[in-house]
Amino acid sequence: MIQSQLPILIIVMPLLMALVIFLLGHKNEGLCFYLHVLGMAGLFAAALGILDQVVTSGTAIHYYLGGWPAPYGIELVIDHLNSMVIAMVAAVTLLVAFYSRQTVPAEVPMRTEHEKVPLRVRNYYVLYNLLVAGLLGLTATGDAFNLYVLLEIATLSTYGLLALGRGRAYYATFKYLIMGTIGASFYLLGVGYLFIMTGSLNMADLFTLLDTAFMQQSMSITIAFAMILVGVWVKMAFFPFHGWLPNAYTVASTTSSCLIAPLMTKVSVYVMIRLMFSVFSAQYVFEILGWQKIVVPMAAAAILFGSISALGQKNLKRMLTYIVVAEVGYMVGGAWLGNVNGYTGAVYHILADGMMTLCVFMAIGAVSYKTGDASLESMRGIFRKMPVTSVVFLVGAFAMIGIPPTCGFFSKWYLVTGAYEAGQWLFLGALLASSLINAIIFFRIIETGYFPDFNKAHGHGHHTDKTVVAEAPLSMLVPMVITASSLVLIGLFSKDIINNLIRHSVPPGLF
Amino acid sequence: MKVIAALFSIVLGVVLLVAANDLPIWGDPESPVSVHLSSYFIEHSVEQTSVPNFVTAVLADYRGYDTMFETAVIFCAGITVMTILRRSHRLRKKNVPPRPVREGQDIIICSAARLIVPMMQLFALYVLAHGHHSPGGGFQGGVIFGASFILLALAYDLKTVLSRLKEKTMMLVSGLGVLVYAGIGVLCLFLGGNFLDYSRLASILQVTEIEARSHGILGVEVGVALTVTCIMLSLYADLASGGEMDEGL
Repeated sequence: MIQSQLPILIIVMPLLMALVIFLLGHKNEGLCFYLHVLGMAGLFAAALGILDQVVTSGTAIHYYLGGWPAPYGIELVIDHLNSMVIAMVAAVTLLVAFYSRQTVPAEVPMRTEHEKVPLRVRNYYVLYNLLVAGLLGLTATGDAFNLYVLLEIATLSTYGLLALGRGRAYYATFKYLIMGTIGASFYLLGVGYLFIMTGSLNMADLFTLLDTAFMQQSMSITIAFAMILVGVWVKMAFFPFHGWLPNAYTVASTTSSCLIAPLMTKVSVYVMIRLMFSVFSAQYVFEILGWQKIVVPMAAAAILFGSISALGQKNLKRMLTYIVVAEVGYMVGGAWLGNVNGYTGAVYHILADGMMTLCVFMAIGAVSYKTGDASLESMRGIFRKMPVTSVVFLVGAFAMIGIPPTCGFFSKWYLVTGAYEAGQWLFLGALLASSLINAIIFFRIIETGYFPDFNKAHGHGHHTDKTVVAEAPLSMLVPMVITASSLVLIGLFSKDIINNLIRHSVPPGLF
Repeated sequence: MKVIAALFSIVLGVVLLVAANDLPIWGDPESPVSVHLSSYFIEHSVEQTSVPNFVTAVLADYRGYDTMFETAVIFCAGITVMTILRRSHRLRKKNVPPRPVREGQDIIICSAARLIVPMMQLFALYVLAHGHHSPGGGFQGGVIFGASFILLALAYDLKTVLSRLKEKTMMLVSGLGVLVYAGIGVLCLFLGGNFLDYSRLASILQVTEIEARSHGILGVEVGVALTVTCIMLSLYADLASGGEMDEGL
């Protein structure tokens, strides 16, 4: 019985855990943490169970909520594409849950100086669980309006988690709130037009209803598609709509940025791919509209803008946020290339980029946890002070640059092949330039980290040898090491991932 | 900047007008919305759920999963506002401008509020319970119930209300509301159905499967009302007092 209920369990478990922590956790912050880790571990097991079910059966799982058949009620559809995204989200949230043991109590300030019960820590974990429920829900759903509701719950809890940072976090989050709400409104407006034109909200049903000559020529449908695209682009911070992301993620607390940076943008990219190919069709998007002529150059612009902006940043966390903006360009561009290799690269990059963003954010988070800031200078001599963290950062950096056998190489390989096949030379150039710029950025950091300060060392050589090893606590190191090794594993098993999952999800109409 | 914003608004307005080009005529009985799914709900909701108001049937049963998450959205908004507004005293003294201090209470307003509040609360329960037959349900009933507390807070002061309904209780009940909704869903799961398949409650409630759907809807509506009531008041109290929970407006 539990096998058939797994699709809903992954969504309801974090929701119930949020409520349980909310109702029981006001006495003891340790209890919050243990309940939270327990919930996330169960979630990860369930996500793996689903992945296994999809791979062994080879077909999509349909789950009807309330027992109502598909177009009348809401259904969850889990196929090869989203079972992979679900597993990625569950893995990231479990790793960050362990990582948060020390960082959340240290970073989330108390309500008052005299407060005995840390309400904010409890509320932090409640929002965390709600975010996970929202993300998994919107990944699993097969209903266009349900997707909107869960997008709202995911972004609302994101606002709360980001605002719990220091200094300018409130202001940056407020700007994100305005942008995010505008994006959500565009999405809702687009779904509204689709509903007026077709009378349905179920994705599979919409797909068949939109597959007529009248609908494909309709201006209303075209504009609905444009609005849905703008909505998800705002949510994923695609280039002209990226303004909120660097500010909001830089000033957020370490745990929040580790959790949100890998998940929010990647899940939004998944949503875009799902809507492009499961509500509209490859034929409609690429042949009838032909917007890839505009969107792929936009993606190239996003990559170049993100990479060049990252080059100029002094603060490492801010630098990483610009790299996130560039990576969104990779995935959007790949999905819009309109061929199998581009699609494979984009989908594989959702998994790979989720893990490598997590890896570098965790490493920088550990450095700023120990040294108190995240500037380039704080990395000075880091290889001696924090050897494990530095190696983790090194692996993450190699993946970002795209050095084999890390996963970053394989996604770039498919994207470059796809761009070559589609004749999108600008995008191809942007991909290669971005790898080069990433190499410059990360080798600059690695150089700073590897060599001690020569100015200081000069004349006091014997002092530098006595640098004390001051590694981050074990609760942070273990998830970091697991993440770093997963980058290599995802790279080594890239062929299996692509053959068993991604190839099965390629939508009809792509060549 | 203002010029750019104005230009964007005009362009968006034109785009929306163009998009209206192909839309079916207003109120057209042959439009896709009227014929595709709506007719199914109109024809079958009574026989499948025994709820005469098919808006309620769609909201709380056919699409009950959406409604559960809408309740969770309200809960999430409430605790986000609460979490953000509670800063340390030191920070707050620096940042928050002084609020106007209220002097005394007006006897006319207080007396009127004393008359209105019990009526409002009774009416809220009626709206909640009568959602099966007429416009109403958990959201509407909850809003009216929450508004009755806000009226008390406006007429007397926030302390009076919070002495009757403690903040801790309020937050506890708001969580319980979502738990009632999700709990009913999980109960259906344990009874062998899918999540939120209320027909499975028949074995517990000793009624037919169709009536069990109707009772299940009432159960989740109560959950929605609990959350909406408490979050309404909590949002008012937090925003009006800037998170101090002492006095505001």
